[in-house]
Amino acid sequence: MKNSDLNFDYKFGFSMPEKNIFKARKGLDENIVKDISKMKKEPVWMKEFRLKAYTAFTKRKMPNWGADLTKIDFDNIFYYIKPTEKQVNSWQDLPKEIKDTYDRIGVPEAEKNFLSGVSAQYESEVVYESINRELNKRGVIFCDMDTALKKYPKIVKEYFGTLISPYDNKFASLNSAVWSGGSFVYIPKGVKLPMPLQAYFRINAERFGQFERTLIIAEEGSFVHYIEGCTAPIYTTASLHAAVVEIFVKKGARVRYTTVQNWSHNIYNLVTKRSTVDEDGIMEWVDCNIGSGVTMKYPSVILKGRKAHGEVLSIAYAAKGQHQDAGAKMYHLAPDTTSRIISKSISKAGGRTSYRGLVSVSPGAKNSKVYVSCDALIMDEQSRSDTYPYMRINEKDCEVQHEATVEKLGEEKLFYLASRGIKRSEAETLLVNGFIEPVVKEIPLEYSIELNRLIRMEMSGSVG
Amino acid sequence: MKFINLNETKQTKLIFNKPGDYTVFFHNLSGELDFRIKASGVNLDILGLFIGKKSDNFELKTNQYHISPGSTSNLLIKGVFEDRSKFIYQGLIKIEKTGQKSHAYQKNKNLILSEKVYVDSRPFLEILANDVFCTHGSTTGKINEESLFYLKSRGMNQKTAEQLYVSGFIQEIIDKIKIDQPNFKLKI
Repeated sequence: MKNSDLNFDYKFGFSMPEKNIFKARKGLDENIVKDISKMKKEPVWMKEFRLKAYTAFTKRKMPNWGADLTKIDFDNIFYYIKPTEKQVNSWQDLPKEIKDTYDRIGVPEAEKNFLSGVSAQYESEVVYESINRELNKRGVIFCDMDTALKKYPKIVKEYFGTLISPYDNKFASLNSAVWSGGSFVYIPKGVKLPMPLQAYFRINAERFGQFERTLIIAEEGSFVHYIEGCTAPIYTTASLHAAVVEIFVKKGARVRYTTVQNWSHNIYNLVTKRSTVDEDGIMEWVDCNIGSGVTMKYPSVILKGRKAHGEVLSIAYAAKGQHQDAGAKMYHLAPDTTSRIISKSISKAGGRTSYRGLVSVSPGAKNSKVYVSCDALIMDEQSRSDTYPYMRINEKDCEVQHEATVEKLGEEKLFYLASRGIKRSEAETLLVNGFIEPVVKEIPLEYSIELNRLIRMEMSGSVG
Repeated sequence: MKFINLNETKQTKLIFNKPGDYTVFFHNLSGELDFRIKASGVNLDILGLFIGKKSDNFELKTNQYHISPGSTSNLLIKGVFEDRSKFIYQGLIKIEKTGQKSHAYQKNKNLILSEKVYVDSRPFLEILANDVFCTHGSTTGKINEESLFYLKSRGMNQKTAEQLYVSGFIQEIIDKIKIDQPNFKLKI
C-alpha cells in the first residue's frame, strides 16, 4: 500500500523538435575531435590538448568501482551539436523552441528576480547570455568557455586543465577531448559579488552527451556564488553528461558552488569537480542530486594554503532505477586547515544511494580538523544505502571525525503526526524535508523552494 | 554470555546461529574477520584493541553480516599508535534484505602518538533492508590537549599525563570485558 503511489512523471520531460545547424555524426574518432576544434576556430594548443585527451580516453579503462556503467555505448552518442549559428544577446532573439523550453523551466522569471547574469546552455553552445552592467563595471568576467578562449586566451591557457588534467580519469579525458560550452568566471582582486551567478544547462537531442567545461578563478579576497541547475527531457536511450569543473580560490577568497541536479532518469551524470584553495581561502560545494539514472560525482577540495577551509554539503535522492554515487574529497596539505562534509541521502522505491568520500591528511598539515557526517534514510524494503568513507591520516597533530547513520523514518514521529490528523504521505514528506533541512537552508531561496517542492512531488507521487 | 578470544581460538570466520549474548575480543590481529549472524536474538559485542609500536603494520578487515532479522552487533576498535606503526582498517556492516530489524554499530577510535604514524580507516556500510538502525563512527587524532593540560595542572609531567590518558583510553575495552569476565587480564 505504502509504495503504490510512487509513480513519478518527470516534470520537465518534454522535448522540442530539433533544429540544429551542425551535428557531428555519432561516435568518436580523431577526425571528429579535429572537426570540433576547427568548427570552433580554436588555437593550436587547444586542438593539441583535445587530441592528447582523446588518446588518453581511448587507452583508459572504465572505472571498476562505483555505479554500473556497462550500459554506456560510446559509439552511439553525438559528441557535438551547434544549436544556432551565433550567440544572441537578448531574450527576444532566441529561436522560439528554445525560448519555450526555457519558459517552462522558468529562466526569465528567475532572472527578473535576482540574477546578476544568465548564461543558459542549450545543447553544446551557450546561446543566450545576458551580462549586466554591474558585472562589467566591477571587472568580473562571466561568459561561456568558448568565448573566453577567444577573448581571454592568456588567462584560459594559464589555468585550463591544470587542476584536472586530461589524463585524470576516463570521463575527464572524454570531456577534455570534446568539451563544448560551460562557464568561465573571473573575479578580480577584492571584488565581492553580492548576487549569485547562474547558469542553466539543458540537454535536448537524443543520445547526445553534454560535455561542458567550467573554470572559475577567484582572485585574492574576492567572493562569488555560482549556481548551476539542471533539468532535462526524458528519452528512451541513455544520454551521457560528463562535465569538468575547475575552481581556483586565491588567498582569502571565497567561492560557493551550488548545484541542483535534476537530469531525467536515463542520463549518466559523470562529473569531475575540483578546487584548490590558497591561504585563508574558503571553498564550499553545495551539491543536490535529485535526478539522473546514475550519478558519480565527488567534488574535491585541495587545501594547500594555511588556514584554508573546505566544505561539501550534499543531498542525494534516489528513486526507482536510480543510483546516486556521490560524495566528497578533502585533501589537507597545509597546517591549520579545516574541512566539513555533511551528506544527507534518501533512497526510495528501489533506489540506491552511496556516499563515497575521501579525507586525506598529509604530513605537515598540523592542527588540521576534519568533520564528516553522513545520514541516510531508507524509505522501503526495496531500497539500499551504502557508505564508503576513506580516511588516510599521516599527521599526528590533527583531529579527524567521521560519523554515519542509516535508518528509516521514525515510527514514533509518524505516529505523533498521525495523531495530529496529518496524513501518512504528508507526514513522510514533512519528515524528509526536515531531514534535509540543514543542507537546504544553505541554498538560495528560489532553489530551496524548488527543492522542497520537488521532494514533496517525489514523495507524494503526484505531479505538479 | 559467551566469551571468545580470537587470539586464543585463532578463528577468522565466526557464525552465530543460536540466540544469546556473545563477546568477541582480539588484540593486534591482522587479517579478515567475518561475523555472520544467522539467528535472531543474537547480541554480539566485538572488541578490538591495537597497540602499535616501532614498525608494526596492522591490516585488518572486519565484516558484520546480518543475514537473520532482529539481532544486534556492536563493534568497537581502539588503537594507540607510536613510532612508525601503521594501521589500515576496513570495516563493513552489511545488512541483507533478510536482516530486517537489525541494529548494527561500528566504532573505530585511534590515538596517534608519533609523527611517523599512518592510519587509514574505512568504515563501510551496505544496507539493503529498511527497518534497521546502523551507525558508524571513526575518530583519529592526538591526545586531547585540554585533558593533558588538566593533568599537568595537577602536577603531573607531560610523560606521566600522556601515559595516564592512554591507559584510560585502553581501559574502556578492558572494562567492557570485565563485566562478565572479572578475571580477564590483557597480555601485552
